[in-house]
Amino acid sequence: MKALIVDDERLARTELRRLLAQHPEVEIAGEARNGEEALALAAQLSPDLLLLDVQMPGLTGFDLLERLDDVPQVIFTTAYDAYAIKAFEVNALDYLMKPIAPARLAAALAKVRPRTGSMRLERVFVRDGDRCWIVALPDIFLLESEGNYTRVCFNGQRPLIRRSLNALESQLDPAVFFRANRKEILNLKWIDKVDLGVAGGLSVTLRGGRTVEMSRRQSGRLREILSL
Amino acid sequence: MILSVAMRNKIIYRCWQIVFWGGYMSVLFLQTKRYTGWQPHIVFDYLLFFGYCVALTDLLRREILRRGWLDAASFRTVALALLSAVPLSALQTLLVVATDFAFSGSQSYFLEQLPGILWTWLGVGAMDLYWIGIYSLVKTRTLGKEKQVRLELALREAELRALEAQINPHFLFNCLNSIRGLVVEDPTKAQDMITRFATLLRYNLNHDARYTVPLSAEAEVVADYLALEKVRFEDRLRLQVAIDPAAASLPVPPMILQSLVENALKHGIARLPQGGDLQIRAAARNGTLILEVENTGELTDSQSGDTQFGLNNIRERLRLLYGDRASLALRNGEGGHVVATVQIPKVP
Repeated sequence: MKALIVDDERLARTELRRLLAQHPEVEIAGEARNGEEALALAAQLSPDLLLLDVQMPGLTGFDLLERLDDVPQVIFTTAYDAYAIKAFEVNALDYLMKPIAPARLAAALAKVRPRTGSMRLERVFVRDGDRCWIVALPDIFLLESEGNYTRVCFNGQRPLIRRSLNALESQLDPAVFFRANRKEILNLKWIDKVDLGVAGGLSVTLRGGRTVEMSRRQSGRLREILSL
Repeated sequence: MILSVAMRNKIIYRCWQIVFWGGYMSVLFLQTKRYTGWQPHIVFDYLLFFGYCVALTDLLRREILRRGWLDAASFRTVALALLSAVPLSALQTLLVVATDFAFSGSQSYFLEQLPGILWTWLGVGAMDLYWIGIYSLVKTRTLGKEKQVRLELALREAELRALEAQINPHFLFNCLNSIRGLVVEDPTKAQDMITRFATLLRYNLNHDARYTVPLSAEAEVVADYLALEKVRFEDRLRLQVAIDPAAASLPVPPMILQSLVENALKHGIARLPQGGDLQIRAAARNGTLILEVENTGELTDSQSGDTQFGLNNIRERLRLLYGDRASLALRNGEGGHVVATVQIPKVP
């Protein structure tokens, strides 16, 4: 399991490295001193796990997550702003308070799952004003295009992320996410019922009540998939 | 403990009711007995009298408390409390007359007994006045004591909160974390840092905001603080201190330089990935102390509320101590620096 340590203080990084030495399953792939370095290293190493300080000069921990295409699993390490993590509704794997208690670290690491190995997107980080979320893809039932942005619909929320629907689509698992029309991608696992639509296409109702009109071409493909 | 005090007061109140009205009842009973001798209905009469006196004054007490006449005891409310003796005693007299009349069965009772009735009213009225007077006196005093205790508690809480605000928790925990790292890497330095940390904490906890300290004493603590921050920031923090010997002995409000430096680190150096310079200068001009803290960074129009809060705190303290003769100014200096300047006048 590859981990990336992100913290602006050298001693804090060294200390974390020393604590992680007790966990041979964790391989420390790299250390970053700030958000910018982390961005470059994350792209290069694609780690399974980020051990991320919240307050850093330049990009904060949240800024960094927002800029990552593919968000790994995140354990926040923080001196005092645990309240911020809670207030932000970020469902990170866990957060650790510095100085870090070895038992707490072990408990947090126990929740980490290695990557499935595919290059598919597993979760996205979404920020909407003062609120942000790390959303696991299975929780997303619909993605709607809004120009260069995409609206992410999950759990009663529909914030925008700074990526186009087309850019996102290339990273999604086609067995789960299905292009309904020019503007929408739906999660097949969330389909509740399928009706015949007005213009010969299908009309799909998702769990939660949202209806999506399929284009005629995609209706045909959906029929194929569902009949399997 | 507060509960037990309340319980004690309740017991005292009950005992007092029994002694007060029981005593009065006994005196009246003994007087009457001289004329009538032992008669069961008279004993009953007086026991009944005792019963409603206790009940009615207790009702009055509840009413006085409910209306808060004694919370902020003014002439008007105390007068109102005392005046309530008139209707109260009238009611008591009415009840006396009613029981008396029921037992006597005389048609001309009222005419025969009119002077006696008036005397009863006067006597009972006087007793009610005593009762209300004593109750008001005792109750106002206990209320006053409670208020004082509450006030002291509130004051201490406010002081504690102020202390909490002074030790920046973010610094505190980061510092502990760095020292934990140092313990392995450089034990001697770790020891030194723990000592400095203790000095800083002690100063934070012990200083009395009402008194000033010599600048040199404040500067020593700031040096400890900066040594600790240096462990965190390492070469991201580049430090220069120049304190004029003439300025070193001048008095400053405790924590003033500390707050300025903390502010400079928090809003300046800590935000820069490459770190920056921090310069502390102190000079004396005609007895006026000029303190300057300069840091790499930029002052924007929309300085965060946080900065303003820190600086307003310093301004408020200066105002309390020196009125409008001391000042704090923040400006953009040369070469991408921010300069905070505090001027403290000579105190005659």
